[in-house]
Amino acid sequence: MDAALKTYWDDVDAELAATDAAVEIESSRRMSSPAARVSFLRFTGIGHARLTAYLSVPAGDSPFPGLLVTSRYGSVNNPPHPFDQERYVALVLNHRGQRLSDVPWRAAYPGLLVEAIRDPRRYVMRAIAADFLRALDLLVAQPEVDVTRVGMTGGDLALVAAARRPAAVGAVALTEPLLLYRLADAAARTDAYPYEELNDELRADPGAGPAIAGTLRFFDLPALAADVRARVLLPTGDPGSIGGPEWNEPLAEALGGRVQQLALTHLGAKDQDAVDAWLSGQLGAPARPRGWQVVA
Amino acid sequence: MTVRSDPATFRTRVTRPDDFDDFWTRTLAEAATIDAAPRLQPIPHRSTADVAVFELEFRSWHGVQIRGWYCRPTRAPAEGLPGLLLPPGYISEPAVPRDWAKRGYAALALATRGKLRSGAQFNPGFPGLLTYNIVDRETYSYRGMYVDAWRAADVLAGLPDVDRARIGVAGGSQGGALSLVSAALRPEIITCAVASAPYLCCFPESVELSVSWPYREITDYLREHPQNEVAAWRTTAYFDVVNLAAWVRAPVLMHLGLSDDICPPETGYATFAALGGPKSLEVFKDAGHEAGAYWMAPRVEGFLAEHLRPVAVAPAAAAPEV
Repeated sequence: MDAALKTYWDDVDAELAATDAAVEIESSRRMSSPAARVSFLRFTGIGHARLTAYLSVPAGDSPFPGLLVTSRYGSVNNPPHPFDQERYVALVLNHRGQRLSDVPWRAAYPGLLVEAIRDPRRYVMRAIAADFLRALDLLVAQPEVDVTRVGMTGGDLALVAAARRPAAVGAVALTEPLLLYRLADAAARTDAYPYEELNDELRADPGAGPAIAGTLRFFDLPALAADVRARVLLPTGDPGSIGGPEWNEPLAEALGGRVQQLALTHLGAKDQDAVDAWLSGQLGAPARPRGWQVVA
Repeated sequence: MTVRSDPATFRTRVTRPDDFDDFWTRTLAEAATIDAAPRLQPIPHRSTADVAVFELEFRSWHGVQIRGWYCRPTRAPAEGLPGLLLPPGYISEPAVPRDWAKRGYAALALATRGKLRSGAQFNPGFPGLLTYNIVDRETYSYRGMYVDAWRAADVLAGLPDVDRARIGVAGGSQGGALSLVSAALRPEIITCAVASAPYLCCFPESVELSVSWPYREITDYLREHPQNEVAAWRTTAYFDVVNLAAWVRAPVLMHLGLSDDICPPETGYATFAALGGPKSLEVFKDAGHEAGAYWMAPRVEGFLAEHLRPVAVAPAAAAPEV
């Protein structure tokens, strides 16, 4: 990792260390069930952002594996899936700008991906990465968590978190599209959102390219991958596509023997169950396929 | 792995309330008194040489301001463009539908009430939207939301450059439900509909069969307020898509994932059976809530093109480089 990249992320951790999380945990009677106790968390991230998360703890004797679900690219997150509630101490973060963490600032869709992208210190993904790091630290601190069995699901920022907390994270399943990985390449190849947000930004300001490139270099996943110690599951799409095997090759190469690629079938339940089998196996939990068998 | 009966054999216990027709006649009559006052605002930085992008605003039930992304080809043919209404999923925000405009449609991606762009006056949140006033049909969240979809169909049909004889609707999950609702409540406007893994079908059984959100909102609500179960099912019967499906006259293409853990395929089968017009159904054994969308994309595009006859536009100009 080059010095500028290291300094950029060290500064994020320094900001986190200087920010009191001031955690509040409120048990949710409505969402709790015989299978799990669900709580609603409030805590502070960098820049004084007040954040929220769902935390579920399985019924029964701890410890349990821990699972941090890093958020989807959208405004709403569901609480932990009931199958995850049964097996993991699961935390779903509502990062800054998402619903329930959107006062005073609310993320726009489209718009979040390029929010303040011309300034590396103000770029929103830096702060959101810090939110995930804070959430990971909170998860690992829960007394019911077996700290030797902590996993994450998500996209680019799950990998960033794994790089910044190599001792804490044992497994990462990249279940969300990688938006920051080769973002400029992707935007040049497609006009599909959210990649297209970058093209919209350049239409609004054609001279912004160099500044944007200067920011995105701090989210260079292959460069950050050198610090990842977790096993990584990397779903792979069709050859020739964004997310296909050639597209993912630089990242897979950087992760080396730690990565396992999963060729997607584009049949959601089958792909979901393959991810679940891998992640539960890594974390020493039972698999819980969402598909079912039909009987006459 | 869970074992279940063949979903194709499922029969719902949901029935139409006796005053179902009266309720919707009254609702739409009241909605018709509201001036939609549609307005189009150009969005230059999201527009390209081929596609013009606008934010569309109109007023709906109780005067709530509804917004959506409207995209059309920059060069509209003299005979007008087919309109394509794209209602949103439950938790997703509508995407800018430039891809459909490039295929020759005037496309409206709708942000129904409670979405970020339409949430200033009504915003129960997530979780929360599905159970908001579920004990009272008069104020249940989906009364307004169904009117939003109903009103969006005629707003789209009335836009400049749109041929009101060629209006289709397509969506998945809640978008699939609202597609069928639009077709049911606007049979004089909607000429074809695509519904993927439709939500809001057979509410009580969906709550029993689904293991996840959003239906889990009702499970959680009833665990806390079991005394309201009868009232909840009495309300949802008025909004159950299986009860509205008979009013659909337009051709419908539906597709389902047989391993959908969010919207149970049983309820999709029941709704498909209740549809009142020409219909076709595709099911995917190992698909989940995406209902085989990857494999269905060419079929969906062909179905809409057959009924709506779009005229494709030229490829987009290259974007500046980073």
